[in-house]
Amino acid sequence: MPLLRRILVRLATGALVMWLSVTVAFLALHALPGHIEDVLAGDMNYPGLHEAIAQEWGLNRSLPVQYADFVGKIATGDLGTSYVMRAKVSEVIASQILPTVELALLAGIIAAAIATALAVATSGRGEIPRSIASTLEMVLTSSPVFWIGFLLLMLFSFQLKLFPVSGGDGWRAIVLPAITLALPTSGLLAQVLREAMERALEQPFAVTIRSRGVGETAIRFRHMLRHALLPAMTLGGWLVGGLLGGAVITEKVFGRPGLGSLTLSAVTSQDVPVVLAVVLLAAFTHVAISTLLDIAYVLVDPRLRSQ
Amino acid sequence: MHIDRPASLPALPARSLSAVALALAGSLFGGAVQAQPAPLAGGSLTWGVTTEPVCFDPHRSSQQNSFFLIRNYVDSLIYKKADGTFAPWLATAWTISQDGREYTLTLRKGVTFSDGTPFDAAAVKANLDWVKDPANTANAASFLVYYDHTDVIDPGTAKIVLRQPDSTLLESLSSVKLGFLSPKILTKNVDLCSGGPGVIGTGPFVFEQYRRGQSVTFARNPAYAWPAENAKHRGPAYLDRVTYRFLPEYAVRTGALSSGQVDVIEGVQPTDIGLFQDAEGFQFLTGPSSETSFTLNVNYTQPPADDVRVRQALRDGFNGEAIVRSIYRGTVPRAWSIIGPSNAAYAKPLVGTWGNDIAGANRKLDEAGWTGRDSEGFRTKDGKRLTIALGYPQPYVRDNRDILIQAIQAALRENIGLDLDVRIISAGEWAKQTATGTWTIYPNTDNPSDAAMELWDMLGSGGFLYGNIKTPDAETTGLIDKVRLVPDPTQRQPLLNAIQERGVQQGFIVPLFAPHYQIAAKANVQGLGFEPQLDAPASAYEIWIGK
Repeated sequence: MPLLRRILVRLATGALVMWLSVTVAFLALHALPGHIEDVLAGDMNYPGLHEAIAQEWGLNRSLPVQYADFVGKIATGDLGTSYVMRAKVSEVIASQILPTVELALLAGIIAAAIATALAVATSGRGEIPRSIASTLEMVLTSSPVFWIGFLLLMLFSFQLKLFPVSGGDGWRAIVLPAITLALPTSGLLAQVLREAMERALEQPFAVTIRSRGVGETAIRFRHMLRHALLPAMTLGGWLVGGLLGGAVITEKVFGRPGLGSLTLSAVTSQDVPVVLAVVLLAAFTHVAISTLLDIAYVLVDPRLRSQ
Repeated sequence: MHIDRPASLPALPARSLSAVALALAGSLFGGAVQAQPAPLAGGSLTWGVTTEPVCFDPHRSSQQNSFFLIRNYVDSLIYKKADGTFAPWLATAWTISQDGREYTLTLRKGVTFSDGTPFDAAAVKANLDWVKDPANTANAASFLVYYDHTDVIDPGTAKIVLRQPDSTLLESLSSVKLGFLSPKILTKNVDLCSGGPGVIGTGPFVFEQYRRGQSVTFARNPAYAWPAENAKHRGPAYLDRVTYRFLPEYAVRTGALSSGQVDVIEGVQPTDIGLFQDAEGFQFLTGPSSETSFTLNVNYTQPPADDVRVRQALRDGFNGEAIVRSIYRGTVPRAWSIIGPSNAAYAKPLVGTWGNDIAGANRKLDEAGWTGRDSEGFRTKDGKRLTIALGYPQPYVRDNRDILIQAIQAALRENIGLDLDVRIISAGEWAKQTATGTWTIYPNTDNPSDAAMELWDMLGSGGFLYGNIKTPDAETTGLIDKVRLVPDPTQRQPLLNAIQERGVQQGFIVPLFAPHYQIAAKANVQGLGFEPQLDAPASAYEIWIGK
């Protein structure tokens, strides 16, 4: 049963990655300067405050005990309570995860669409459209997300009033954030796609197809795109991380709910349970995406099926 | 030095009134106020605010930017007016015993929490006891360090008993942090930080909905009839509903208001003020400044700043007025004391007495032996450079304050050869420095309650800065301990002045500027104002939407 074995190995390594991530995050948070109870007290002091905070969250226990407590609870599905927001971490994450996933997913689709269109339209064709596209891609790739966000807001929200500035309600509210997040990604993706397509176009089989009288756009859509997908997919897996990271800034600019600002404030205030939960989620996403990509490679590339 | 108080502000909307109304009126200002139509009830309003509150529990929150939202559902016993005196609110009268240890409060009758629970002496006791209980780790407990217990004399009378007299108590009782939640929710032991309809107070609005990362909405409390005595109207609030949307970016708030997507914004970038001030269809208001001014707190126990001459040189070695003006474009006044200029406890004698004396600063450093110069032009002594570190905790950096400090850094280098080593540090690193007393210069504003409490926080023997330093300045800490025992305002002020003057004279504190809230709004939004104790916008109680 090689298939079953492969699935089991996948699951085991996935669990290992998640456990290691949580452990490293826990150690890193505790290696930061300052006691967590002092950070939580902030600019506040009265007799007994720091001791009471340490008592309240069990910070006066030894590190191994705290670690065992966290890991033990996580294993049973209990992510604990946020030190700062004083709410159940699972509830906080549950309320914020959907907006971020929606945003990243839509941005990913838009980026893929733009990149494909650019690559099909310009690969191995005239020098002028190609260099225009390539300049555009460079600009998009190197533009900071928040800057793109502001420009889009100024034009489409403040001037033309087509879309609202903020909120998580309805399709209108997600359009500008998704495009903002998609543009830099699409630039990078388009460059990779085009280069791979051009390499495929040089192959002898391209001549064969052309000799059958297939048109220039059709040859790219039907034949070259498939060859270009492999390097793009490898990059695509890495881009998921980029999209989630970019979501942090996009959410802040547009005042959208989501995991981004949650993570940011949790790290700065050393809110251990929230950070651990987010790290766990990120590790899970990484494992899931790389598994999906492995399956997708086999579907896209018939050569892998025989192995 | 006083900046505009809310009382002088109704002049602004007048610009949008018709010339006919102005012509009918006797004088421009008074006339405009008389010509205002009667308030209209109904409608809803959206604010764009800078900060999403981390916690909606008044007793637990520590964010200055959260309290004016919380004020919508939380009332206090008394109300602090702009002149520093107190008006009745949920308490109609109070007496203080001869020894200053017992505060007997007569409570207003007929007040209920929005869950129907009556507000009575038992509710007062339940709230204060809850805050004081160390197990609850409430931030507001710092106001109750000397609190012993509350006696319920009868439902309408509560007696607060202290372990020792504390002159800060009246203002603490006027703070939203010691406001009242329904005793029912206090005993249920649910955490109220996450907000929602379960957070129940006596305020003019009830908590309708919190959408994390997005907005919070409060709905009118139709039963409300107990505003502070000096409120402009009685009875329920005008607005049906008020929503605060979290828009952390300056430019986004500005765009949201100018494109009509929100009605009011708070936190206006200096460069954007012109879009709203004196502009058709908009209004612009600035609040009081009665919290501590933005101040460099200099740890006078850490070398080389343990030498008074070095601290005085640091204090006088730059032109604070010019730097503040260039960065904030004249929107905030330069500060002369650590207490804000709108606070009645502000040490007025300090105005114009110090700063920008570069020759004097250089002379003091020469006297102190910092006579050498290194290759980069910094002063040295025994081969060591004159360096003082300034750690600015990253979570507190806002409002171009880091840029202000960088400008001072450049000026000190050029003027007196002092190396101000500015570092943006993590909250953890900062916590470590205060826990060990090794911090060097801390730039900060602080808003507890009461000027004596502010001074105690920043310079007192038990405050968070000097609490872990073994030998703080005995004269300063002695004066601060003393002023907390003196309840009489006329006896208090000379002591408060002496503390502020000593702090500046010794270079313990280098006040920079007096921050204040800035509000921009559509012209038809009426009744916007500020709460002096909060030093922030008032609740939405008085706000109504005109034509």
